[in-house]
Amino acid sequence: MLRQQPANQISKKGLTVWRLYGIIQTLITLAVAIGVGFLVYYFEGPIWIGIVAAVIVVLYAFFSIYLFPKIRWERWRYEVREAEIELQHGLFIVNRTLIPMVRVQHVDTAEGPILRKYGLASITISTAATNHSIPALVTEEADELRNRISTFARVAKDDV
Amino acid sequence: MNCVTESPRLQGWRKTMSEQRYKLHWITAVVETVKALKDMIGPFIILVVVNGFKGERSGPWFIQYWSLIFFGILIVFILVSGIVKWRRFDYWFEDQELRIVSGLFVRKKRYIPFDRIQSLDYTEGIFHRPFQLVKVKVETAGSSSGKDSEAELTAITKEAARQIEQEIQRAKKDQIIGPLLHRYDNDELLLYREPEVAQETARSASAIFSMTTGDLLMLATTSGGIGVILSGAIVFLSQIEELIPFDWLFGELESFVRFGVFVITIMILLGFLFVWLLSVAMTFLANYDFKVVLEKDDLIITRGLLEKKRVTIPLNRVQNVAIVENPLRQLFGYATVVVNSAGGVGEGAQIKLFPLAKRNRVIEPLQEMFPNLDFNEPTEKLNEQGRHFYYRFKLILTLVVISAISYFLFPYGLLTLLLLPLMWALGQWQYRTAAYSILSKQLTIRFRTISRHTVFTEKNRIQAMEMNQNYFQRRKQVATLTVNVKSGVTVDASSIRHMAQDRAENFLKWYEYSPEGND
Repeated sequence: MLRQQPANQISKKGLTVWRLYGIIQTLITLAVAIGVGFLVYYFEGPIWIGIVAAVIVVLYAFFSIYLFPKIRWERWRYEVREAEIELQHGLFIVNRTLIPMVRVQHVDTAEGPILRKYGLASITISTAATNHSIPALVTEEADELRNRISTFARVAKDDV
Repeated sequence: MNCVTESPRLQGWRKTMSEQRYKLHWITAVVETVKALKDMIGPFIILVVVNGFKGERSGPWFIQYWSLIFFGILIVFILVSGIVKWRRFDYWFEDQELRIVSGLFVRKKRYIPFDRIQSLDYTEGIFHRPFQLVKVKVETAGSSSGKDSEAELTAITKEAARQIEQEIQRAKKDQIIGPLLHRYDNDELLLYREPEVAQETARSASAIFSMTTGDLLMLATTSGGIGVILSGAIVFLSQIEELIPFDWLFGELESFVRFGVFVITIMILLGFLFVWLLSVAMTFLANYDFKVVLEKDDLIITRGLLEKKRVTIPLNRVQNVAIVENPLRQLFGYATVVVNSAGGVGEGAQIKLFPLAKRNRVIEPLQEMFPNLDFNEPTEKLNEQGRHFYYRFKLILTLVVISAISYFLFPYGLLTLLLLPLMWALGQWQYRTAAYSILSKQLTIRFRTISRHTVFTEKNRIQAMEMNQNYFQRRKQVATLTVNVKSGVTVDASSIRHMAQDRAENFLKWYEYSPEGND
C-alpha cells in the first residue's frame, strides 16, 4: 500500500508568484538574446545564431512560466502533525521529507517584495543539521504554522 | 561574542578563583613563524622556479629579483608578527570563563564559559617536546557560528594545561554543588558529593583500542594520501620538464634519444617511489602508537611519534558510527571506523576512531564504547526490481564518455570500452552490498560507493529522513532513502538507493512518532 501524500497544498497564489519569477527570468534571457541578435547583426554573423537565441527564449518562457511552476505547484504538499512535519516537493525528483518536532531547532518566516505583494511568506524549518522550507504560504497561515511548530518543537538536548 | 554574564550567585560562591593573567611560552613565536613559513613554501618555490632560472636577465636588479625581495620582506613581516602574537596574548580565568585577549592593534577578546567547553585537545609538536609544552585547542559545544567558537593556545606548559583542566572541572562541579550550598544543609550536600567521589575512583584508563605495528604498516602503505602526493609530484615533474633541455637532447644526440627517454622514465618511476615512501613515512609518523582510551564519558584518542596528538570526544556528542572498507583493504580483511561528532568544526567533526584494524576485531571495542548500539550486520537485502537502476545510468554515462574519447583519440580511445564491463560490475557490486536493518531504536544501513560503508545510527540522532524518487524510479516503484545526521556544523547524509518503495516507506513509518515505541 502506498503512503498517503501530505494533506495540504500551498496557496494558489504561490503559483502566480512562481509564474511571475518565470516572467522575470524570461525577460532577462530575452535581454541577453536581443544583445546577441544585435551583435550578430552588427558584425554580420550567420543568421542561425539569432534563430537559436530566439528558440531558446521561447522554450525558456514555456518551461519557466508555464510547465515547471505547474508541476512544482501540483507536487508541493505539506503536513504539520503533532509529532512531525512532512513535506513533499520536486520537479523531476519527488522528495518526501520527514522531520520530527523534537528535532526542530528554530523556524523562520520570510517575505520578499513580490511575496509580500501577494500576501505570502515562506517558512524555513531548521534542525541541528538540515534546513527545509515551504516556499509560498498565505502570511497568516505561515505565522500560525510557525507558532504551532515552535510550541510543538522541543529539542532533546542530549541528542546533538 | 560572549557577553559577560554577571551572575551574582556564582560570584558570591567563589571569590577565590585566581584572576592572574598568563602568557604563552616564548616558543609560540617560533611555532607561529614556522607555520606561516610552511604555508608560504609552495608559492615561493613556484616563483623561484618561474623567475630564478630564466636564462636572460634585463632591467635593474630590483626588477630582476622582485619576487625574492618581496618574499624577503614577507618573511621579516611574518617573523615580527609571530613575536607580536606571542607578546600580545593573555589568558586567564574569571567568572566561570576562560578569557583570552589577543592582537596588536585590534584587541580581540574571547570569553568562553566553562560549561560551554566540550573538551581540550592537545598537540605536542617537535618544538613543544623539548620544553614539555603542549598546544591546547578548546572545543566548545558546536554552535553554528563555526570557527568563532573555538580557541587555541599555541604553547603552554603541561602544568598550565592541567591547571586549565582543573579549573574547568571545578567550575562544572560548582555548577552542580554550588547553589546547593545555599539551599540545603551540609548533610545533604555530603550525600550529593558521594557519588561524585565514587565516580572519580571508578575512572578506568585502559586502552580500549590500539593499533598493532602490522595494522600501522598496512595503513601507511595503502593510505589514500598517495593520490594527493602523486598529483603534487606530477605537477612538480611537469615544472622540471621545462628545465631539461629536450631540444638539445633530441637535436644533437639522436642516437641517445631512446636511451634518454628510458632514463627519464626510470627517473619518474623512482620519483613516484620516493613520493610513495614519503607518504608511507608520514602516515606512519602521524599514526604511530595510536590508542583509544575510554575515560568516564569521553573517548580519548592519542597518536603520533614526532607530533603527539590527543583528542577528546565526549561520547554523548557522537552521532553515528560507520565502518568503511575500501576494496583494497576489504580484500585483506581490514576496515576503518569513522564517527560523526556534533562538536568540532570541519575536519574535527568526522573522526577516524580506528584508522585501520582487522574487520573482525573492530566490533568488540566498539560495543564497549557504544553499549546502546547493535553492531550486527544488516540483514535485509534489496529486491530485484531495483537492480538495473544500479548500472543502467552508469552505462549510459560511460557510453557518452567513451564515444567522445574514441572520436577524438581514434584508435587508442577505443580502449576505454573496457570501462563498460567495469562499470557494470561496480553497479552489480553496489546492488549486492546494499542492505539494512530497522531495529526498534536504531537503523543500520550498508551501501557502497566504491568503499563499503556500514552505518549504525540511533533513532534519536537522525535529524530528518528523506525519500526521493525520480521519474524512472516512480515507474518501477523504487525509491532512494536518505538519513541525515549532524556532523559538526554540517550534515552527514547516508542513503540506500533504489530500494522497493513500500520498504522505503517502512523507514518513514518507523521514524514517525508512535505513542508506544517512543520515549
